[in-house]
Amino acid sequence: MTSDTTRSWVNPVMGAVSVLAIGAGLWTAFTSAPDSEQGNFVRILYIHVPSAWLAFLAFGVTALGSAGWLIRKKLRWDRLAEASAELGVLFTAIALFTGALWGKPVWGKYWDWGDARMASTALMFFVYLGYLALRRATPDPTQRARRSAVLGLVAVVQVPLVYFSVTLWRTLHQPFTIRPDGIQMDSSMVVALLTNLAAFTILYVALLVARYRLPGEVAGTATVPAGAAVTAPNLRSEP
Amino acid sequence: MNFWSQALVIARRDLRIEARAGEVTGVILPFAAIAVFVVPLATDTLTVRLADLGWPVYWLVSLLFGMSVALRNSATESPTQRRHLLLLGVDPVARFAGRAGAAAVLMIAVMSVTAPLMVLFYDPDGLPPIALWAGVVVLFSTGLAMLATLAGDVTVGLRARSMLAPLLVAPLAVPLVVGSARAVESVGRGTSTLGPLMLLVIADLGLAISAIVTAQPLEEATT
Repeated sequence: MTSDTTRSWVNPVMGAVSVLAIGAGLWTAFTSAPDSEQGNFVRILYIHVPSAWLAFLAFGVTALGSAGWLIRKKLRWDRLAEASAELGVLFTAIALFTGALWGKPVWGKYWDWGDARMASTALMFFVYLGYLALRRATPDPTQRARRSAVLGLVAVVQVPLVYFSVTLWRTLHQPFTIRPDGIQMDSSMVVALLTNLAAFTILYVALLVARYRLPGEVAGTATVPAGAAVTAPNLRSEP
Repeated sequence: MNFWSQALVIARRDLRIEARAGEVTGVILPFAAIAVFVVPLATDTLTVRLADLGWPVYWLVSLLFGMSVALRNSATESPTQRRHLLLLGVDPVARFAGRAGAAAVLMIAVMSVTAPLMVLFYDPDGLPPIALWAGVVVLFSTGLAMLATLAGDVTVGLRARSMLAPLLVAPLAVPLVVGSARAVESVGRGTSTLGPLMLLVIADLGLAISAIVTAQPLEEATT
């Protein structure tokens, strides 16, 4: 019996904890004070900011898994990198979508090319789409692990660039809200933001564990292509 | 043979193959020139100032055709060739440096031809000094050559290589495009070129470090 089957309680428990955490996050998001300038549109940020934070975390874990594979040559590191990259792409897409949704009423447009954070986040999204495309294009598991580990390590350079883009370049994006000299927000908004950060992180861990435990056949990473066992029927009658 | 001798031999081999195959000079370079020529034809020149499009078109053409140069068929080593080099004791980093160096030389040649064509067809405002342009082109070509060689190695032997490698290169090459474009623009704007040039140098250094760190695992993956 494998550990995947003996620990069958892990996914339901993690799922239940995530649902509770997201519920608490939504409750704080809808009960916190509206912003004096943005009004209720500020509530979009309680999804946008945690998604962006998780994208950074997920791509960092991908780099960790990539380095782990290159050092230890164990496929479990590659599975970790793959699972985290998929989640990173998902959370980056959510961050981009919610950012555009928030930008229309507050900035007057969905997308602004003068904003370095938006442009660099979109680039990061495309790089990791390329990472996933590379994985899909490489059928051999060892080759896939080795090649994607190299890309996973190179691509993570973008994470600090995206994070610090608000201070490095001309940008519309607001600078860091939580700074060493104090927090530039109302206390109920801080509670909502931190609760949602925690809730989304729990959701990320739950999804990561579930994706990591998914067998290769189901995850689409099996070495034998589907239908390989099917052979052509012998239509000739026996002599 | 020391590291640099090995890199030089590999670069000379790639350039010799290109001289025989003529893939860059006979195919990629004319195609790049046509690309520079076609954009004004596809633009309403009564409402759009071509002078404003000149440099953006130049960097876009340099990026797209630079990738074609680095990923050209004649520069693709077969698994047998790579195993042969490995058995000869060629340092994987030297092999990378040689191949990227040859690609950079060819990219500089392409960019040196498309630049006067761009000036001729678009007549951009405020041309930069030749020395600045040359420095930017060298930094841009070196970075793009390293990046595309890395992507070429990551995707070698894959059926989707021709589409996958540019997909990996284009977003990662953005710091090179931004640094080059801003450095050249800074002359017209009267701002400092130091920041954009630093961005190019940092991007090149980052790519060089990535190449050194990943050369060995990539060697194992492709032999």
